[in-house]
Amino acid sequence: MENDSIINIIKENFINQVISVDEGSDMLTLSIEKNAVYNIIAFLKNELGFNFLTDLCGIHYPDQKLPLGVIYHLHNMIENKRLRLKTFISVDEPKIKSCVDIFSCANWMERETFDFYGIIFENHPNLKRILNVEYMDYFPMRKEYPLEDATRKDKEDIFFGR
Amino acid sequence: MENLKIALKTVNPPEGYSAPGFFATSLDKVVGLARKNSIWPLPFATSCCGIEFMATMSANYDLGRFGAERLSFSPRQADLLMVMGTISKKMGLILHQVYEQMAEPRWVIAVGACASSGGIFDTYSVLQGIDLVIPVDVFVPGCPPRPEQILDGFMKIQDLVANEPLRRRYSPEYKALLESYGIK
Amino acid sequence: MKKIETKHKIINPNDFGKNLSTLNLGPTHPATHGIFQNVLTMNGEIIEDAVQTIGYIHRAFEKIAERRPFYQITPLTDRMNYCSAPINNIGWHLTVEKLLGVQSTKRVDYMRIIIMELARISDHLICNSVIGVDSGALTGFIYLFQEREKIYDIYEEICGSRLTTNIGRIGGFERDFSPSVIKKIHEFITHFPKVLKQFENLLLRNRIFMDRTINVGSISAERALNYGFTGPNLRAAGVDYDVRLMNPYTSYNDFDFIIPLGTNGDTYDRFCVRQEEMWQSLKLIKNALDNLPEGSFHIDVPEFYLPPKEDVYSKMEPLIWHFKIVMGEIEIPVGEVYHAVEGGNGELGFYLVSDGGRTPFRLHFRRPCFIYYQAITEMIKGSMLSDAILTISSMNIIAGELDA
Repeated sequence: MENDSIINIIKENFINQVISVDEGSDMLTLSIEKNAVYNIIAFLKNELGFNFLTDLCGIHYPDQKLPLGVIYHLHNMIENKRLRLKTFISVDEPKIKSCVDIFSCANWMERETFDFYGIIFENHPNLKRILNVEYMDYFPMRKEYPLEDATRKDKEDIFFGR
Repeated sequence: MENLKIALKTVNPPEGYSAPGFFATSLDKVVGLARKNSIWPLPFATSCCGIEFMATMSANYDLGRFGAERLSFSPRQADLLMVMGTISKKMGLILHQVYEQMAEPRWVIAVGACASSGGIFDTYSVLQGIDLVIPVDVFVPGCPPRPEQILDGFMKIQDLVANEPLRRRYSPEYKALLESYGIK
Repeated sequence: MKKIETKHKIINPNDFGKNLSTLNLGPTHPATHGIFQNVLTMNGEIIEDAVQTIGYIHRAFEKIAERRPFYQITPLTDRMNYCSAPINNIGWHLTVEKLLGVQSTKRVDYMRIIIMELARISDHLICNSVIGVDSGALTGFIYLFQEREKIYDIYEEICGSRLTTNIGRIGGFERDFSPSVIKKIHEFITHFPKVLKQFENLLLRNRIFMDRTINVGSISAERALNYGFTGPNLRAAGVDYDVRLMNPYTSYNDFDFIIPLGTNGDTYDRFCVRQEEMWQSLKLIKNALDNLPEGSFHIDVPEFYLPPKEDVYSKMEPLIWHFKIVMGEIEIPVGEVYHAVEGGNGELGFYLVSDGGRTPFRLHFRRPCFIYYQAITEMIKGSMLSDAILTISSMNIIAGELDA
């Protein structure tokens, strides 16, 4: 299946919801609107044979208009084709529909993305923090938060070059 | 026969007075000798140092020849808490609970850089050293420490066990130490 | 009327007649090798439900990676799946080489294959011996750990360290395989088959072991694919997906090897698949060692590969590169790549987004353990507690990879 045919089929079925197409990097990358993500992924799985969700992660570009992003990597194992989908959402209303009904492995991957970036996945069965402590009140992977624990007393920052 | 006597290396008995039929020494030396050669460790293995501990327990570097053949996974029956690996803040509470359940006399060895001081992970989620939550006796540095280093740390614990005064656990300094960690 | 707070358990009408209790297969448990928690709802000895809690060893690798220059991220990747650390290291180096767009030489590829297959053997040795320990057979564990010491000797000869190896460099290796390394690998591949055969004789056709592991913790191929399984766990369910063949890297397509497949997806199949993969890895190492081509042990990647010391002290260009590399002031191309390698547990992926700075903008690790551990609930529902222990240990859950 060539890249062009995939792009054309998706553009025909989801008019105006594909924002950009990038074939320059290692795999076909589509940037789509957040409302279309669930439908496009279901379409890719049922019609075009992308039966494996390799990865789901978040990203934060603080300078963009829609800073938070969710990135999906899909894999068609029969024809050996990989695909990357990107979608961006705003910080004030970081909601997107969950893909747990399509791929069960999205369950924990979405929890991890929520834990790190604060992106809320609607219809997720159990959206709680998974890796960090439950009483943590900020989303650590966002760019404005530091790596080190601000409350530690034994390490002086000047000796560590910070 | 003389060659055999020179070739054999035996362990020295503790200082005392001996004559045919008896050996007299002080009680704490005997108790120390018995305790140090029969420590029951609790392997609290969390990450990579745990695999080096598994290598220490197996046939090549055998921890069993120091008397620690029987690992106890229940804190109530263990003497030595060996913390091997990174302890995160989520795990720190559990470590504190496990330490509280151990009966006196108890010792703690922190194996690895992560348990001693947080190691290479100076992050928001890692406890920078387990001595923030429990009192530690011996720190073994390394990432991960070689089995020989772990055995060296274990031998230092054996020295501590052998030379400990019998009333140390009832002394006010020890009680103050436990108070400072919030352990009753 | 004020609502009275009660601390008593609310009884659900459907629970009448059932004797439900909660068992905490807690973070510190002798049988779960690694710290992750399963809270089981049991009806007597049968498990009705399981809820997992992970994150007890969360060390924020992805956040640390945003602050480190590229070659300082290699020690970080070591500590994910620490049983087969070289695979993680070489996977990371391949990702950076993909971003830079450089092609490695055949000699580098074959050396990488030898080291990665040794690491795969080392990982499967732990998993299979631990399945034996959890079903009560401690002898196999002691036999196989001796062999791991020999693999550690080989690693030590190459890179200086036993477990967390930080092996190789971006662009190849820091030094060639010395004659003593080649000799040690030859000795290993002559001696190891006998020990592996001894271990097989202990467990593979052992009636007790087979009764404990056949039809225990099985999962079908469709559910496994839906849950994102990869690696030996997926191959035991019958799907022949191996990243080494699907998206070949480091010249794996020069070699001929079999992908073992199971039928039921149960614990016995996983044990057998890992066992057969060890035999195939041995074959790969032997072929790569016999056909090791001549050439350089590194490629020319001046931005990351430190120039040789004689050049640094005598010429200008290498001196400048050395300074830039050590200070970390290198221009990296802007771009994003996703590269996957076949780790001990499956598809280990690295998603790297670079914006041209000295550190990655975003680095995400696709960790196979994290993704397939979600399926444990489905796999142990309805089975007994001792079967659940065997299922969990046969999935080869490594806590460092689970939490990162």
